[in-house]
Amino acid sequence: MNTAMGIIFASIYDDNLGDLTNKRTMAAVPYGGRYRQIDFPLSNMTNSGIRHIGIITKHKHQSLMNHIGSGQEWDLDLEEGGLEFLTPFALDHNGLYRGKLDAINSAINFLTISNEEFVVLADSSVLCAIDFREVIENHIASEADVTVVVKDGISDGKKHIDMGIKLDESGKVKDIVVETNAKKEYLASMGIFVMRREKLIEAVKDCVAHDRYQFERDIVLHGFTEENRAVNACVFDGVVLYNESISEYYENTLALLDPKVRHGLFNRPNLTIYTKVRDEVPSSYGENSVIDNCLAADGCVLNGKAENTVFFRGAKLAETAVVRDSIIMQETVIGDGADLQYVILDKDVVVRPGKKLCGTKEHPIVLKRGEIV
Amino acid sequence: MNFQKKHCVAMLLAGGQGSRLMVLTENTAKPAVPFGGKYRIIDFPLSNCVNSGIDTVGILTQYQPLELNEYIGNGQPWRLNRSHGGVQVLPPYAKSKKSEWYKGTANAIYQNIPFIERYDPDNVLILSGDHIYKMDYAAMLRHHIKMDADCTIAVRTVPLSEASRFGIMNTNEDGSIYEFEEKPKVPKSTNASMGIYIFKWSILKKFLIADEEDPESENDFGKNVIPALLNSGHKLFAYEFQGYWKDVGTINSLWEANMELLGENPEFNIYGEKGKRIYARNYAMPSTYIAKSSKNSNSFIAEGCEIYGSVTHSIISTGCIIEKEAIVEDSVIMPNVTIESGAIIRHAIIGEDCCICRGSVIGGAFAADEEKSISVVGKGKTIEANAAIKPGEIY
Repeated sequence: MNTAMGIIFASIYDDNLGDLTNKRTMAAVPYGGRYRQIDFPLSNMTNSGIRHIGIITKHKHQSLMNHIGSGQEWDLDLEEGGLEFLTPFALDHNGLYRGKLDAINSAINFLTISNEEFVVLADSSVLCAIDFREVIENHIASEADVTVVVKDGISDGKKHIDMGIKLDESGKVKDIVVETNAKKEYLASMGIFVMRREKLIEAVKDCVAHDRYQFERDIVLHGFTEENRAVNACVFDGVVLYNESISEYYENTLALLDPKVRHGLFNRPNLTIYTKVRDEVPSSYGENSVIDNCLAADGCVLNGKAENTVFFRGAKLAETAVVRDSIIMQETVIGDGADLQYVILDKDVVVRPGKKLCGTKEHPIVLKRGEIV
Repeated sequence: MNFQKKHCVAMLLAGGQGSRLMVLTENTAKPAVPFGGKYRIIDFPLSNCVNSGIDTVGILTQYQPLELNEYIGNGQPWRLNRSHGGVQVLPPYAKSKKSEWYKGTANAIYQNIPFIERYDPDNVLILSGDHIYKMDYAAMLRHHIKMDADCTIAVRTVPLSEASRFGIMNTNEDGSIYEFEEKPKVPKSTNASMGIYIFKWSILKKFLIADEEDPESENDFGKNVIPALLNSGHKLFAYEFQGYWKDVGTINSLWEANMELLGENPEFNIYGEKGKRIYARNYAMPSTYIAKSSKNSNSFIAEGCEIYGSVTHSIISTGCIIEKEAIVEDSVIMPNVTIESGAIIRHAIIGEDCCICRGSVIGGAFAADEEKSISVVGKGKTIEANAAIKPGEIY
């Protein structure tokens, strides 16, 4: 068996989710009623037999560390390997990194003192249930220096993507573009990369020596065009959700109401997504509740009317409250007579009785954690 | 190995077969029977222990222990994975001279004297694994110590008309017990024993050894050990417990206890602050999906379900699928059950992992004041399409 270690980037894209990442990193953004975004890359890694994982965060990681704890829910509370938080505080120059490559460099010791053969890199803004063992096998078979997991149907000429890859008819990489609104013939990178550990260390050191700090641009694209680095694309055909903006986050959360999306993320055999356990009671549905096309985690008390809405753990909906097309996070309380549509209410928000809030599908109203309206 | 001294060790009697739960305990020990959507009966005494600061618990198992052992594991869900103490499953085992099953509740503790001795405890708390309640054992322990009792027995007040079904403690004004009557025909008081005892360990040990030497003894706490303590002039006190407590030893009481979780002001309020919650082993299940076609009212629905049908006044446990046009009323659906479209379930308990195929009808409707005959489908059964399980039928 091939051994692999993992690196998860927890906070590279924090700026994209606005108020949701006001007090937490991208990795700790709540998703799907009971999860945090990091549950996906973390579960994918443990489901793929990866037992040595570094989480690179730069700041605001209290909420993330609280969520992960000892890693027990992912079976990562191990003597050998297990989880490591790689924070910039461990750096001698204590600078904040400019991109993934910088971030890997700041954690280069984590790589050099390990002995796994391969490294899997993953973001926490791209959600999917994937078996990395298949990706590693694909990487080995390709004999490439770096493998990028890509997805068809994401690029449309409008969406900004980190990296797009065009393949020729035989599936070989023909062209690579970065940081652009790529046309639809470019498959979008899922932010998942596989390299041999030694090769990654070498490439990172070389880039740093040349003052290059962007993984996609400097290791993958530059390597491909200038240095004859062999790049392999591994096409993933499952459900993938990119939460790279508030509107994508909104859309992708409500997409879970579609059984194809929901089952594609949560019901794949041997690819269970794990999360922190909270000892909530089952959700209670009141005498006169009308709940249509909703998702609800444990601990909710739903007495009112709701439609096309995702309720996180412990959300409360009063009897005469109405909520539609919304995302209601943990422990948020909606009072009697409130009428909400197209809103994202972060944790611990209180909506007073009678309050009306209405965003639009493209621009849902976001209330920050703990706000009272 | 070095063992830390413990002030109080809990011993949880979880070996009973629970034969009155019939098909529900065919392959499962009673304490492992699912309850309330995501719990099992044993979660209640175990969570009470942890919430009362008792971190050393021995669980005595005997009947169908596989599932129970697996469920308890290392005790992590109850924070009982400790370096000192924690949870320990104690099945009967073969000794050099003889091997024997646990003959009775007292004998089960007797056989585990070496386990208890390792912690050199001052007191031992004896619990059983078949009751639903929340209780602060620490308060009872404080009372036990304050009274300098040799044994303290938790009691609750029952209606006089029902008192003859229980073990009744007749007490003096200061709460000391002068008489114990097991199921008295003419009860003198209404203090019913809850089967929760705290003993001074030095005293209990002596009586367990004596009880074991008595060939006439049934080795039972209620029948033998408590009367022996009482007859030899030891100090026994009753500790009055107020609050919800339910013996879920029968189909009807198990159904009732589940139903008592429901409503705006439920009889048993299972919600709790941090540190007062009931803990359970959790399985990684996504949030529950409630479809537009569904109608849910006055119900508990746990995570990992997909609800397309209609659910009224019921408990739906983790991982259930209720298809379109299925109707579930006044019922308890245990984990991972699929109820196909058009099936109708009323006043029933459906065991884990069952499949209720399309168009089948289980149970029946009863008037509010009518005695309800609960239908039961045992674990892992399949009810064929369009089949019927009559009211009160046990399948």
